[in-house]
Amino acid sequence: MTSLPQPLPGAKKLGLVIDLDTCVGCHACAVNCKEWNTGGHYAPLYDRAPYGAEPDGIWFNRIHSYETDGGGCGGHTVNFPRSCLHCEEPQCVTVCPTGASYKRAEDGIVLVNTDICIGCKLCSWACPYGAREFDDDVGVMKKCTLCIDRIYNTELPEAEREPACVATCPSRARHFGDLGDPESAVSKLVAERGGVDLMPELGYRPTNKYLPPRRAQIPTKPVEAPRATGNGLGSALLTLVDKVLSR
Amino acid sequence: MTPASSVLLLTTLTGFGYGLLAWLGIFAAAEALPDSPWFAPVGVAIALVVASAGLIASTLHLGRPERAWRAFSQWRSSWLSREGVVSVLTYPPAIAFALLWWFLGPDAAATRAIGLLAAVMGLATVFCTAMIYASLKPIRQWHNPHTAPDYLIFALFSGAVLLAAVLGASSGPAWAVSAIAVAAGFVAGGAKLAYWHHIDAQTPLATLASATGLAAFGKVTPLDQPHFTENYILREMGYQIARKHAGKLRRIVLAVAFAIPIILSLLAGFRIAPEILAPLAVIVTGIGLFVERWLFFAEATHVSALYYGRAA
Repeated sequence: MTSLPQPLPGAKKLGLVIDLDTCVGCHACAVNCKEWNTGGHYAPLYDRAPYGAEPDGIWFNRIHSYETDGGGCGGHTVNFPRSCLHCEEPQCVTVCPTGASYKRAEDGIVLVNTDICIGCKLCSWACPYGAREFDDDVGVMKKCTLCIDRIYNTELPEAEREPACVATCPSRARHFGDLGDPESAVSKLVAERGGVDLMPELGYRPTNKYLPPRRAQIPTKPVEAPRATGNGLGSALLTLVDKVLSR
Repeated sequence: MTPASSVLLLTTLTGFGYGLLAWLGIFAAAEALPDSPWFAPVGVAIALVVASAGLIASTLHLGRPERAWRAFSQWRSSWLSREGVVSVLTYPPAIAFALLWWFLGPDAAATRAIGLLAAVMGLATVFCTAMIYASLKPIRQWHNPHTAPDYLIFALFSGAVLLAAVLGASSGPAWAVSAIAVAAGFVAGGAKLAYWHHIDAQTPLATLASATGLAAFGKVTPLDQPHFTENYILREMGYQIARKHAGKLRRIVLAVAFAIPIILSLLAGFRIAPEILAPLAVIVTGIGLFVERWLFFAEATHVSALYYGRAA
């Protein structure tokens, strides 16, 4: 059923909170995502010519990097992981003609039933975030599952029941939790750090939030002005002595 | 958006087929068609064969064409599903119209009523097709008030050109149909110019700053790409057409899809070699509208391309 589910009272809204301040752009989340998911729910995620000149494959996580000019107060280099945001108004679901694309009422995860997907690709056209990737080996659409086969997997120790990208992040820039519960750790983090939606103007109401880079907290020392010195040999000597002693 | 030839064929051919069906129904209701018992059945057969060819072509771009039947299920939310349902529901009234024409005659009230119903259903299918594009929020060149009326106008224009050729081949050219084809050509050309004017004046739906949530940090520019080769997203949605090529193609569309067919229809209407010029007008219109549809895709930009520093 591709009509959106009625929100259940107290239902979870599982999602990710990504900290653009601490992301170091190492691509570990993308690699571990690929590693888990190529053997997971939508296995396999194809790879073509992985060591060739034109490698091609399905990745549910793509790590961009951007520069900001800071609006006149110092720029930032921002590493930016991009994946499915498990939107509350996902047009990728409502455009699906077969019911293959669906949003779960109980936790808000957006999934594809690859057994009934006809591979029309319309869902990927409807997603403003470029989150869906098509598998032309088997002719169906695939996407981030929020590691549904990890987070509910009772075979795994409880501490490991989180998405692969979150589990592997070496700088703890990725957080997983219930964004529908204002008391959850992720919701508090979003409130505290002023987490934002991507492209809110399109009205998809993404569940995942991004924490903007922190403004510099430590004031940098102003550059020392060169001391006024006289002219002539004496002052040149003094400058030299000053340089040597300053080392 | 990367133009997919199967989808271009779908929309161009269904435009001709359902446009012809619409005019057959409308002219039958007005008792303005030749009353040969063959006329409506042959006309409906041509309309359905052309439209069906388009519908079959559309399944070629599916990853799993053998599952296409599943697309009839989600008509409550999906315009693609509605297109499938309405296209199938168009066959019964269209076939009934042809049968009633043959058995009850062109003047029977039932024939005229069912003909009109077939016309409405055909145009409803075209409307559903248009809404697939018009409903996609990430693509500003499609998600606007021009898309749906334009598809209907182009279907009626190409249908009129086709009807003029069918009439020319059977009972001789009809001045009224050629006049409608000419008028529809002017309306369609004007609609296309208005559409181009509209998309050229649009502001982008989003910026890289809003797409990354970094609007408070000043101007955002891409530094490193996530990958060095094209992926699915870029192949499908990162298509970029050079402005000078688009300008040239727009002039080609105006000439081939609208201006030349208008001139050919006008000459055919004045009975200047109608048996050659009317079918020629169909072929020229078909080529022109195929290019028009190609450009409709090629000029469309998708906001997801912003992440890669491309225009949207």
